[in-house]
Amino acid sequence: MEYAIELKGISKSFGPVAANKNINLSLVKGEILALLGENGSGKTTLMNMLSGIYMPDSGSIFINGKKVSINSPEDSGKLGIGMVHQHFKLVERFTALENIRIGMRNVKSVLIRNNVRKNIEETAAKFGFNIDLDKQVSNMSVSEKQTLEILKVLCYGAKIIILDEPTAVLTVQEIERLFAVLRKMKEEGHSIIIITHKLNEVMSISDRVAILRHGEYIDTVVTKETNEKALTELMVGHKIELNIERPIMEKTHPLLEIRNLTVKNDEGMIAVDHMNFYIRGGEMLGVAGIAGSGQKELCEAIAGLRKIEDGLMIHEGKSIVGLSPKDVLAHGVAMSFIPEDRLGMGLSPSLSITDNIILKNYNDSKGIFVNRKNGRAEAQKVIERFEIVTPSTETPVRRLSGGNVQKVLLGREIKSGPNVLITAYPVRGLDINSSYRIYDILNEQKKKGVGILFVGEDLDVMLALCDKILVMCHGALQGVVNSDNTTKEEIGLMMTGSLNIVDRYGKTAGIAKDSVITDEEGKAE
Amino acid sequence: MRKYHLVRRSNPRMTTTILLYINGLLLSLLVGAILLYALDIDPFEYYGKMFTMGLIGNKYGFKTIEGLLKVFVPLLITSVALSISFKMRFWNIGGEGEFLVGAICASIIAFNSTGMPNVVTIVLMCLAAMLSSGIIGVAIAALKVKFNTNETLMTLMLNYIMLYVIRYIGETKADWNFFLRADSERPKFGTFPDSAIMGGIQIGKFKLLWAVIIAIVLTAIVYVYLKYTKRGYEINVVGDSSATAKYAGMNVGRIVLRTMFLSSALIGLAAALTVSSAGTISDTITNDVGWTGIIVAWLGKLSIPAVFIISILISILQYGCQAAATSYPAIDSNFADLMQGIILVFALIADFEANFKLVETAEAIQRRKERKQKRIERKQTVTGKAEKTAEATKEGTTNE
Repeated sequence: MEYAIELKGISKSFGPVAANKNINLSLVKGEILALLGENGSGKTTLMNMLSGIYMPDSGSIFINGKKVSINSPEDSGKLGIGMVHQHFKLVERFTALENIRIGMRNVKSVLIRNNVRKNIEETAAKFGFNIDLDKQVSNMSVSEKQTLEILKVLCYGAKIIILDEPTAVLTVQEIERLFAVLRKMKEEGHSIIIITHKLNEVMSISDRVAILRHGEYIDTVVTKETNEKALTELMVGHKIELNIERPIMEKTHPLLEIRNLTVKNDEGMIAVDHMNFYIRGGEMLGVAGIAGSGQKELCEAIAGLRKIEDGLMIHEGKSIVGLSPKDVLAHGVAMSFIPEDRLGMGLSPSLSITDNIILKNYNDSKGIFVNRKNGRAEAQKVIERFEIVTPSTETPVRRLSGGNVQKVLLGREIKSGPNVLITAYPVRGLDINSSYRIYDILNEQKKKGVGILFVGEDLDVMLALCDKILVMCHGALQGVVNSDNTTKEEIGLMMTGSLNIVDRYGKTAGIAKDSVITDEEGKAE
Repeated sequence: MRKYHLVRRSNPRMTTTILLYINGLLLSLLVGAILLYALDIDPFEYYGKMFTMGLIGNKYGFKTIEGLLKVFVPLLITSVALSISFKMRFWNIGGEGEFLVGAICASIIAFNSTGMPNVVTIVLMCLAAMLSSGIIGVAIAALKVKFNTNETLMTLMLNYIMLYVIRYIGETKADWNFFLRADSERPKFGTFPDSAIMGGIQIGKFKLLWAVIIAIVLTAIVYVYLKYTKRGYEINVVGDSSATAKYAGMNVGRIVLRTMFLSSALIGLAAALTVSSAGTISDTITNDVGWTGIIVAWLGKLSIPAVFIISILISILQYGCQAAATSYPAIDSNFADLMQGIILVFALIADFEANFKLVETAEAIQRRKERKQKRIERKQTVTGKAEKTAEATKEGTTNE
């Protein structure tokens, strides 16, 4: 068999974090290979090494049987590899033609000659693209932009095409069109790697599926010989018994009830779609979902940082819709969100621990001056209580290690004494010990009767730590499962949209029996 | 492939920084010395005059100090004001324009103040200048908050607009134009009536203008404001991470507007104090403080005490350069500007060196190693070959 790409023993680490460990992967000429894996399983890192953005720490890459070293995107292009990124790399002010032209290396003339246009048109016709070359990118729909990106790499002569989650932004019809183009490309002898989370797409488009998990290569299977369930098992792995404590508490009435919540993201698209759920006191509710399924928007909406389009948010019988972030906090709902860069939201990196601890209540003291004396005392308390390692209370937060930064953030939220604590990715990027310390902190709160919403990434952790798990896919509720009688496979299927069990138990999931919202209120939209 | 890349030093050491600055200063003086030598001027004598500002052996030394303070006051206030907006990551480079707005509005009061009490006039001038500059600053901030316009471009354009406004006023002879001297045929800015001239405390022959005291008190207030008040805290948070500020429930837009008002109003105040001390207005009244202030603010790392000290140093440099330049017929004040520019450039380079270092990239190190390896291999093969040929010749000779 002839291979377009062979990866042998590829490893890549970022600091102490190993993103790829000893990966072996092969792409047969003229096939469509689906690359499957959970968030953080190392798919994008691996593909970035093929497109010359990163260089592997060890291991070797063979393209068409020849050993190569890819040092830059230019090298990658010369080897005939083209990558269509999730975030489009287009000049908004340029037309389609100009966007394709600027990346052409072998054309000497500065002007756009007719033959360039003719070449592009021919390529487009060959693969069945329907595109207006004179349309400005800023006027294009998402699907048009993607078409342009694909046409671009084809025009640059790419024979190996990598698509990073191309379907995430498309509608069903657009996905069908994309797949038609991909099949056409395959016929023409191109080799394709497609990254996707959606199993039904994997089944319909790919010839083989390669699975990564936690940065490790698991297996490559032939699509025809497998099914969605088997793939999910490979993707999420067998349940790992973690030694995380889960205290069982007497559950109280629902503290926070969310009904029919609809929220848009920054681009104006629906991010949270008619979401229902509730949190009782003494309960930890996990939120599972592929990254970008609306978790961020959900957290922001509850914390009062994002306008909601529709729905009810009731905290202890009172609506918190339309309240300012401050008032929501005063109500007893605290939110801590660890974004990907881990410092962007909720903390001020250059300011001291004290200044970060007082961020939410600096305005409560009288007079025009900030009361740093109290702040320092509070900071000292948080440092002692959560065992934060720092030279002093005046150390800038960015000088602390990741675990300690996250403890500062969580410590501040808990200090305000909330009865509903929303925490998103609190262990993001932490080592095992720091993670366990965070779980302990959350459990302490749970024991006090606080209701906790835990937005997480690692299913094993959520199964061990949370009482119930809410699964969302594309902003919509797929069901709420009890951690003790579910499996990772079931959650995996729900996350990828293959399974919806909202109505499984004869009642709608996410609506409490003893809800304070009457049926009429709940229905009113 | 890039061979080197810049890496920020994690913890720049104080001694290294100072040494780098001294090094920069010496290098800039060396460049200046070459220029002076080419102009037939003894560099040592020139520098002597420059650093003493012509104070030594000067009967009118107190005049020098007065002149120096007149340079110092506007520079200090402007640099402090710019530091406030820079702390918020609002790139206000419109110091020149805001200064001119304030200067014009203060002058309107000044030219029409004949007969008014001195204190009232000066207070009114300050208020008019602060209000007018402040409003301009808020307008630009509002565009930024509302429409996300680029404040750097907006403030930059303001500088040119105001420069041409004051030139227009200065060159248009008309009945309405009370800025100009009535008794002059050619358009020429008039001088303020006595009521609008800044007073001061007389210490012997030396007169300490109120402006100096105001500037120093103001600097102390701004220091306290930024460091200890809630509003100062808000500015720090917004500047560090506006997402976090929003998350904490701060009204980021209002903070930006308020801070920008403060920043430009202070620059307006600097203008009022300057025109009142000078007793007149001109299109060069700013003495470029809007530009120099940016450099001072950055060299001082936006820390108010550091900005204070650097303002003093830059003022001495400016005044000293002028004083030295005027005592030689071969050069004029342009040379002083040139000298200043050279010194500032070297200071900025020193600052950069103190914060960054050049590091060879991992790839470059790898390649160098590979090349070295190859060279060794090649050497070995070459010597191997040489040995072989030697052997072959030997064999040849023996064969013979």
